[in-house]
Amino acid sequence: MAAFEELVARHRDRIYARAYSMMRNEEEAVDLSQEAWVKGWQRLAQFQGESSFGTWMTRIVINLCLDQLRKHKRHRAESIEAMSEESGGVERQMPVVTVNPTAGLEQGELRQRIDQALGQLSYEHRTSLVLHEFEDMEYKEIARTMGCSIGTVMSRLFYARRKLAVLLADLKNRDSV
Amino acid sequence: MDYNAQLKLQALLDGELPEAEVSEVTNWVARDREAAALLEELRNTRGALAGFEAEVRLPESREFFWSKVEREIQRLEVPAPKPVRESYLALFRRFLVPASAVAAVLVAGLMLTRPTGPYGRTAVASIETALAGSGAFTYRDYSAGTTLVWLSYPADTEVAENDEMGTIE
Repeated sequence: MAAFEELVARHRDRIYARAYSMMRNEEEAVDLSQEAWVKGWQRLAQFQGESSFGTWMTRIVINLCLDQLRKHKRHRAESIEAMSEESGGVERQMPVVTVNPTAGLEQGELRQRIDQALGQLSYEHRTSLVLHEFEDMEYKEIARTMGCSIGTVMSRLFYARRKLAVLLADLKNRDSV
Repeated sequence: MDYNAQLKLQALLDGELPEAEVSEVTNWVARDREAAALLEELRNTRGALAGFEAEVRLPESREFFWSKVEREIQRLEVPAPKPVRESYLALFRRFLVPASAVAAVLVAGLMLTRPTGPYGRTAVASIETALAGSGAFTYRDYSAGTTLVWLSYPADTEVAENDEMGTIE
């Protein structure tokens, strides 16, 4: 148990950060990361060392967050982003953002803006982006994790990126006014 | 530019485009300014995200967070109480009591529905002679509620008497 405590101490911020990036809610992220550690303990025998312990634990917390988000979705109306995705894809008509909206920003400021913009995406789009960009997952792996087709993953990623570009450009314009 | 072409641009950026299509899409980007602009936008967004995930830290102390995790692990590891084996007496009681009750109800039901007669509950039918030496017999069936009287004529006693006198009247 003492060794496990040490592992928790070493990886707890990473696991919490992933939960927070998906849930966008501090309390839920704490609860889910705690649940992930309990599950991690229960499944410790299944850890084969194919990936690092941190990556293995991150997969556990991602699955818990996805379960929770699906439960939320059942109780909530679809987000505008999700509806637009279903109804034909407004991202196809979005004008291309020609200027790099993050050029010249301080690291801290950039992080803050990205975080703000990510918070405005629906959970499906945000999760696709988080898994691809921050967890380095391939389309196939994202599809398996999220329980959808590769085509849906591509579509969600495309929308999320285009929307993010617009949101970052808006934030830049607002700051420069 | 159709949607499929847009997704191919993204797949090229992510290194997920089938090898056979890479040169075709690359040549198309080189010729088409719109495609090149879209690819650039996608690349900028990807570049902005790379390594710039917000730094978030668990808002609880190491000790407090661990204590919660540990408590939950211990709670889940407490073995579930084994089911107590019932003694034979308890089993006997459990099954005998309802069985006895059912039996009692059945017996009571039978007692109430069985026919009754003037000669007690067990008298179902009886045969009796109404008058001694008259040759009349009465059959009473209490369950069916019927009474049957038959007469033997001439009466057995008369036949015997006439036989003695040698005449029949």
